[in-house]
Amino acid sequence: MLQFVIKRFGQSIVLILIVTIITFFLMNLAPGGPSSMMRLDATEEERQAIAEQLGLNDPVVVRYGNWLVNAFQGDLGLSLSSGEPVMDRIMERVPYTLQLAVWTILISVIVGIILGILSAKKRNKWQDHVINFGSVIGLSVPSFWLAIMFILLFSVQLGWLPSSGVGGASLMEQFTSSLMPVIILSTATLPTIVRFTRSSMLEVVSQNFIRTSRAKGLKERVVIYSHALRNALIPVISIIGVLIPRLLSGTVIVESVFGWPGIGRLIVEAAEGRDYNLVMGVTVIVTIVVIISNFIVDIIYSKVDPRVKNVG
Amino acid sequence: MKKYLVFALVLFLTILTACVGGNPDEAESDNGTSEGNGEVQQGGNVSIPIIGDPIFNPWHPNAYAESNIVNRILFQGLTKPGLDNLPAPSLAEEWTDSEDGLTWTFELKEGVKWHDGEEFTAEDVAFTFNNIVLDEALGANGASNFNALEEVEVVDTYTVAFHLNNPFASLPAYLAFNAEILPEHQFADIEDPWNFTDFNKGTPVGTGPFELEDYTSGQQLTLSRFDDYHGGAANLDTVTFKILPDVNTQIAQALSGELDIFALEDKASLDRIEDADNINLVSSDITRYYWLAVDLEDPKFQDVEVRQAMMHAIDREAIIDSVIDGYATVANSAITPDQEQYYNEDVKTYDYNPDKALELLKEAGWEDTNGDGVLDKDGEDFTVTFDIALQGDLEQIAVLVQQYLIDVGFDVTLNTMEWNSMIQKNVIERDFEMMLNWWSYPTDPDVLSQYHSTHAGSGNNIPAYSSDQLDELLEEGQAISDPDERAVVYDEIQDYMAENLPYLYLWYPQELSIRNKRLQDVPDIYFGGSLHYINEWWIKE
Repeated sequence: MLQFVIKRFGQSIVLILIVTIITFFLMNLAPGGPSSMMRLDATEEERQAIAEQLGLNDPVVVRYGNWLVNAFQGDLGLSLSSGEPVMDRIMERVPYTLQLAVWTILISVIVGIILGILSAKKRNKWQDHVINFGSVIGLSVPSFWLAIMFILLFSVQLGWLPSSGVGGASLMEQFTSSLMPVIILSTATLPTIVRFTRSSMLEVVSQNFIRTSRAKGLKERVVIYSHALRNALIPVISIIGVLIPRLLSGTVIVESVFGWPGIGRLIVEAAEGRDYNLVMGVTVIVTIVVIISNFIVDIIYSKVDPRVKNVG
Repeated sequence: MKKYLVFALVLFLTILTACVGGNPDEAESDNGTSEGNGEVQQGGNVSIPIIGDPIFNPWHPNAYAESNIVNRILFQGLTKPGLDNLPAPSLAEEWTDSEDGLTWTFELKEGVKWHDGEEFTAEDVAFTFNNIVLDEALGANGASNFNALEEVEVVDTYTVAFHLNNPFASLPAYLAFNAEILPEHQFADIEDPWNFTDFNKGTPVGTGPFELEDYTSGQQLTLSRFDDYHGGAANLDTVTFKILPDVNTQIAQALSGELDIFALEDKASLDRIEDADNINLVSSDITRYYWLAVDLEDPKFQDVEVRQAMMHAIDREAIIDSVIDGYATVANSAITPDQEQYYNEDVKTYDYNPDKALELLKEAGWEDTNGDGVLDKDGEDFTVTFDIALQGDLEQIAVLVQQYLIDVGFDVTLNTMEWNSMIQKNVIERDFEMMLNWWSYPTDPDVLSQYHSTHAGSGNNIPAYSSDQLDELLEEGQAISDPDERAVVYDEIQDYMAENLPYLYLWYPQELSIRNKRLQDVPDIYFGGSLHYINEWWIKE
C-alpha cells in the first residue's frame, strides 16, 4: 500500500509539471495580453508601461522558470488583474465550488444507483423507458439553456427559489440557493451513473453465480442487493473518477448563470483577461484536486473489489 | 422507441418553454416618469448588476466598466456630467481658464470629508494628477486623455491650477469622465498604487455619497450611506452591486424585481422587458458612435470614392432596425447628437443606394469586367478581409455589412476572433483591412486623438487617416474655449468628416436602461451619468 502511494505521488508530481508546462506555453501562445493592456483606447506608451510593471518583457521560458521556482516554494504570485495573491483569490472561491461538487456527486451517486437498479430490474418496462428518457434529456439539453429556463420558472414565475448568489447564513437559505445549480450540474453526471449502473447490473445478473444464487432459492432482494449490486458497482465507482473533471468543467457555465462565486467562473475570467498567474494557479489547484479524487476512487475501487490490488 | 423518445423530448421542451413564456400578470403600460411622485421617502436598497469583480481605483489599468460604475459612487471628480451634457460642478465649484488657455484654475468645495473623516484639499487633487496620472511608468487608465497636462499646482488649500503645454478647452469635460480624485493621505507611503490591495480591493476611501461596507469577491458588494456626504446625505440606505456575468440572469432578476437599474447591453430580450409591469425601459443618448475602419495605408481604400461607395452600399437603417430594434441614429461624423451645441445635421449624407455605389466605384476604376461578380481593377479583384471581435452585437452587424458589400461586388471574408486576439492583431500590430468597433468618449466634441495624424500608427487613429486640413481644424477646436466659437470649428470638422470619411460612420446608438418603477428621481440621462446623482434617488414603497 505504502509503495503504491509513493509511486502515485511521484507520478502525480510529473503529471502536474507537464500540465503546467502545457498550460503556461499555450496561454502565452494565445494572442493578446492581460486585459489592462487590451483596451481599444490604450496607447502604445500605456501598454509598454503596464507590460514592464507586470514583468511581461522577459522571454516566456525565463518567465516559466521564475514561476516554477516560486511555485515550488508555495508562492503562486500576484493576480495580474487585481494585484492580490493568486492563492487568496483561489482559496476564497474553492469552498463554493466544493459545496456544489460534493452535493452533485452525492445526489448523482445515490439517485443514480437507485434509478439504475430500478431501470435494470424493470428492463424494457415503462419504468425503464421513463428513466431512459430522463437520461437522454439530461445529457442532451444544454445546461445554460436549462438553467435559464429554471430561473424563469422557479424564480421569476413561481418565486420559490433565489435566482443567484450563495444565500445568507441560514442553512435553509444556503440550501435553496444551491438547489438549482446542483440540479443543473447533476443533469450532466446523473444520467451517466444511471446508465452505467443499468448496463453493469444487466451484465452481472446474466452471469452464472447469480443463476446459482437464484437456484439456491435465495430471495430476489438478496440476490440483487447482496450479490449482484456489489459486483455491479465496481465499474460505477471507476466512472466517478471520470465524472469529477467533467463536473468541474460543468461548473464553468453553471456558476456564470447562477452568479455563483466559484472556481469555474474564476478560470474563465482569468483566461479571457490573460491573467497568466491566476490561470496557472487555478490549473495547478484543479489538477491536484482531480489527482486526489482519482486516487481516492482507486483506493475505494481496490477495497470493493479484492481482485484489484494496487492499481496504478 | 426512438421516434417516441424524440417526440417526448420535443414535447417536454415545448412545455418547459411555454411554462416560462407567459407573464403571470397582465402587462399594463404605465409610462409614468419619475417626476412628481410625492414626497421623498428615506431608506431602502437599490440593486445594480455588474459583470465582474470591481477595482476600487478609477485610474487602475484594470478598472473596466464594472469598476467605473462603482467608483462613480464611491469617488468624485472635480466635475461631473451635467443634466444638459455640459460639465457641472462636483468637487470643484467653479473654474476659469487663462487668456492664453494654458492655465485652468479650479476653486474647490470646502468642508468635503473623505470616508475616513479626513478633509479633502487641493493636495489630493495635485497628488492624483502629478503622482498617478502623469507618472508614465504607471500607465494609468485614461492617462492619455490628459496628454496636454504638465502639472497641477496647489495655489492654496482650496484652489488648484492645471498647467498645460497646449490649450485644451475640453479639460472640464474630461475631468468628469472617470477622472475621480484619490486621497493623498492614504496613498502617501505606497510604492505601487496598483498593488495597494488594502485600498483597491479592500477599503476604498472616497468622497462620494456611499462608502463600501462589505465585499465578497464574485458575489456582491454593499455600499452604505455616508452620513457626512458634503452634498447632503443620500435618501437610500444602501446600494448593492451583484456580480452577475450572465446577461440572461440579469434580465430574469430585473423581471423578478431583484435588480433595479442597469444599462441593457443585449437587445435580444426587449419584448419580455417591454411587457413587464414593474419595469420602465428608458432610452437615452450617449456619446458613442459605431464605425468601420479600413486600412488607409492600403492603396485600394485611399480613393475617397471607394469609401463613399461603401457607405452607399450599406443599408444602415435596415441594420439598425434588425439588430438593435431601431435604437440608433444613422451617423455621418464623429460628433454625437447628445452634444446639441455642436452636433451638425446638415452634412453630406449617404442613403442606401447600390447603383450610386457602383457609379462611384466605376469612377475610381473598379468594375466587374470579367463577369465573375467581383469588382476588379488592373486585373485584380477587390478582396477584403473583415476582422471582427466576438463582443456584444458586433458579429451580427458584421454579417449584414458583409452581405451588403458582397451585393455590390466586394469579395468580403469575415474573420472572427475573441476580443483580446482582435486587439493584438488589429490595434497593436495594426494588421487589418477592415474592422468594426465603436468609440465612447467624454461628452465633448474634442475627438482629436481618434483623427490627428500624430495619433496614427500606435494611437487611437486606427485607420491611420492623415490630413493637414483636419489636423489644423482639430487643433483649433481644442484651443478655443468659447462654446459658440468652438461650434463653428466643429461644424466644419463634421462637414469634413462626412465628406472625406476617415472612418466609415455607422450610427449613434442609444442606450437602453431598465429601471424598476419604484425608483424615483433618477435623472433622465444615460445610466452611467445618472449614477452621479444617486444621492437624490429614492424608493417609493
